[in-house]
Amino acid sequence: MTQLVLFNVTNGLIVGAFYVLMALGLSLILNLSNVINFAHANFLTLGGYFAYVLIPVIGFWAALFVAPLLTAIVGIIVERLMIRRVYGRDPVYSLLLTFGLAFILQDMCRYVWGTQGLPLAVPASIAQPLSADLFFITGYRVFMVVIVLVAVAGLFAFLRYSRAGIRIRAGILDLETVAALGVNVQLLRSLNFAVGIFLAGLAGVLAAGQIGLNPNMGDSLLMPSFIAIIVGGVGSLAGTLFGGLLIGVAAAVTTVFYPTAADAVIYVIMALVLLARPRGLFGEEGMMS
Amino acid sequence: MLRSATTPVLSRQRLGLAVLWLVLILVPFWVPFVGGYTQLAGRALVLGLAAMALNFLLGFTGVMSFGHAAWFGLGAYGTGLMLRYVTSSTLLATVAGVLLGGVLGTLLGRLLVRRRGVYFAMITIAFGQIFFYIAYRWNSLTGGDDGLRGFQRQPIGFGRFLLDIQGNDIALYYYLLFVFAICVGLMGLLLGSPFGRTLIAIRENERRARFLGIDVERQIWLSFSLSCFFCSAAGALYALLNNFADPMTLHYTLSGEIVIMAVMGGMRSFWGPLLGAAVFVVLQDYVSSMTVNWMSFIGLLFVLVVLFAPRGLLGVLQRETPR
Amino acid sequence: MNLLEVHHVSKNFGSLHAVQDVSLMVAPGELRAIIGPNGAGKTTFFNLITGFFPPSAGEIRFDGTDITRVPASGRVRLGMARTFQITEIFPELTVRENVRIAVEAAAGMTLGIILRRARQEAIAHEISAAIALTGLTDRADRKVGELAHGDQRAAEIAMALALRPRLLLLDEPTAGMGEQETFEIAALIRRLHRDSRYTIVLIEHDMRVVFHLADRITVLEQGCLLAEGTPAEIAANEAVQAAYLGQAA
Repeated sequence: MTQLVLFNVTNGLIVGAFYVLMALGLSLILNLSNVINFAHANFLTLGGYFAYVLIPVIGFWAALFVAPLLTAIVGIIVERLMIRRVYGRDPVYSLLLTFGLAFILQDMCRYVWGTQGLPLAVPASIAQPLSADLFFITGYRVFMVVIVLVAVAGLFAFLRYSRAGIRIRAGILDLETVAALGVNVQLLRSLNFAVGIFLAGLAGVLAAGQIGLNPNMGDSLLMPSFIAIIVGGVGSLAGTLFGGLLIGVAAAVTTVFYPTAADAVIYVIMALVLLARPRGLFGEEGMMS
Repeated sequence: MLRSATTPVLSRQRLGLAVLWLVLILVPFWVPFVGGYTQLAGRALVLGLAAMALNFLLGFTGVMSFGHAAWFGLGAYGTGLMLRYVTSSTLLATVAGVLLGGVLGTLLGRLLVRRRGVYFAMITIAFGQIFFYIAYRWNSLTGGDDGLRGFQRQPIGFGRFLLDIQGNDIALYYYLLFVFAICVGLMGLLLGSPFGRTLIAIRENERRARFLGIDVERQIWLSFSLSCFFCSAAGALYALLNNFADPMTLHYTLSGEIVIMAVMGGMRSFWGPLLGAAVFVVLQDYVSSMTVNWMSFIGLLFVLVVLFAPRGLLGVLQRETPR
Repeated sequence: MNLLEVHHVSKNFGSLHAVQDVSLMVAPGELRAIIGPNGAGKTTFFNLITGFFPPSAGEIRFDGTDITRVPASGRVRLGMARTFQITEIFPELTVRENVRIAVEAAAGMTLGIILRRARQEAIAHEISAAIALTGLTDRADRKVGELAHGDQRAAEIAMALALRPRLLLLDEPTAGMGEQETFEIAALIRRLHRDSRYTIVLIEHDMRVVFHLADRITVLEQGCLLAEGTPAEIAANEAVQAAYLGQAA
């Protein structure tokens, strides 16, 4: 029993780590540009497929970095060509636009790589279980968690210490003022979008090593990422981080005791949070109405 | 082209309305001649009702729900379950579907009324997925992934007269049109009333509305609830049309499609979403029979509408609510 | 008895003390002007009175009732109507439609679906009256968004009047207006006060307007109450002069 609980909590943390990577990227784009990127999961998938193509050429370790980078470049192109044209317009348009993009990207992946699942080769050095008792803790799982930790730490350091990061944080609070101070807001939004997509691409590579590739592989992460943001409190990246881990572990623990409700529990958590703290756990209360 | 001068009693708007209803009533007679079939017209009508229901909220209250498939799907499942397990009355089953989606929408809507914009949309999407998972997982009741089968719409008796919607496609179409007319008539009545004007006020300028003493949260809740009821009615009809309810009717993909129908038709116009739905249904039917990559085409349609026709097909022509 | 009583209200935004311990008594029929240099907390104070946000401390009473915790829409229904510094209207609707929404809201018909004919006529009459009072009759069927700035402001005042308020709160009614428009709005406010006996509280930058219209003046500086009195008293007040020294007012 202890082993079962441990097994599921570990699973939950890993799944939660994926939620966190997805949700942080979504949250960045949402906070600065007021755009819900429906295609985020499809960028994740694209990252996985890029790694699949790159690994035979440049090896796993290089692909781990280059594949997300390529994904981010695709992201920038999409942002420049289309998404920036709906900034400042009724949010229904950005939703529809990214929704349509999600369809197109998914169909393209299907067209290029087929609907069949594909495996992603992981170096043997990290594929082994660490011990016979805890067979489920493979080196790869530890490795994933480490990479996610590094990425999250890197993101927060970027936002705290780099000039661009500081501007992004300022822009989230008050974009008009940032623009008035002479910052190129268009460029800032592109960069911010690219950072968000990079995180999705990274999650895609890691996920592909764990569960393999298929054109829909990101879809099951999209809703939990939304919920991570809502639970954590819109506008708060720390909240998103906490929200992602919380629902990941909650879903995993539920799996132990009542497997059929594992999908549902994250929605229950969301409903409870909305009832008790309408702005989310880390959100601030606003004006009286 | 008809000239309004020949009928001085009717305003142009009324004439347009009369023509529209005439076209809808005569569908079974003209649709075969343009290469369509009554079943397809029924689908357009039902999805049109869903898009108009969404637009009650989106276009006339200025609040964006991206999870309306939930209420549509609940309407479908409510009707299907009722016919399968409880009653053979199509009318009762329709009412049950409307109530299931409408009441649940009303309850959950209470949690939403203080959210706005993308946040409102995001929470509605998440709410919608709750019901998708329930339908997907609760195999014994809903048939899970395969959908709910094993029910049949039943003929409706009016005294000695029997409307055979079971075997006769045209009779079915008229039943759909009957429910559609009730819902659309109610929507028109509501939007032309003082209540409806408060919704438009909220859409135009929420702060001003609040400082006119309008209880904005309550009005949004009411608008959301009404929209859910109308959307469930569309879902109920959808189940009757197909003799089938499947989890995809609850999925956010359908929510997105309902939104694009409304926007493509013109979300500032009352009838625009019906036109948008008709165009969408016909396109989908055509494209999916032509190519396996129909998803790209639908996705491209989304992108093109947003970038090049954001006001929709009727948005440019028509201005306001029916008065 | 006073119509509006504000007792020792304060409002903090984090460490910023926007309004500190300000009190205000307004008698029925009075026209009170609130003035002060930029950043004196005038609009914040206004927002506290109208329920835009709750005060951090203090009490607000309207016609004897404690309304400190009553939300904005509730205060409107009690009889407080306001306009905004930046005109808040329904730009896509006509003047008549704008005013209609206000009249219907004031009549408690926000849930109304079907109206009897007599009621419809009464409402149409009331709409026309509010429009006539603000001199917009000949522009009643034009979209408000297409009107001149001064007419938009007049339309906003017409909406406020349509609420049949007992207290009218105007936030810088002549802000951003030219000479001619300023005179027209000032004349309108004067008519409302002298002829129609409205109780009015207004924030105003234009000192000519203030000294022309006000019965009493309240001066705020850096969130605090600096002085209060008749226009003559305020004009002679040294502290007020000092506060405005160096200001281009």
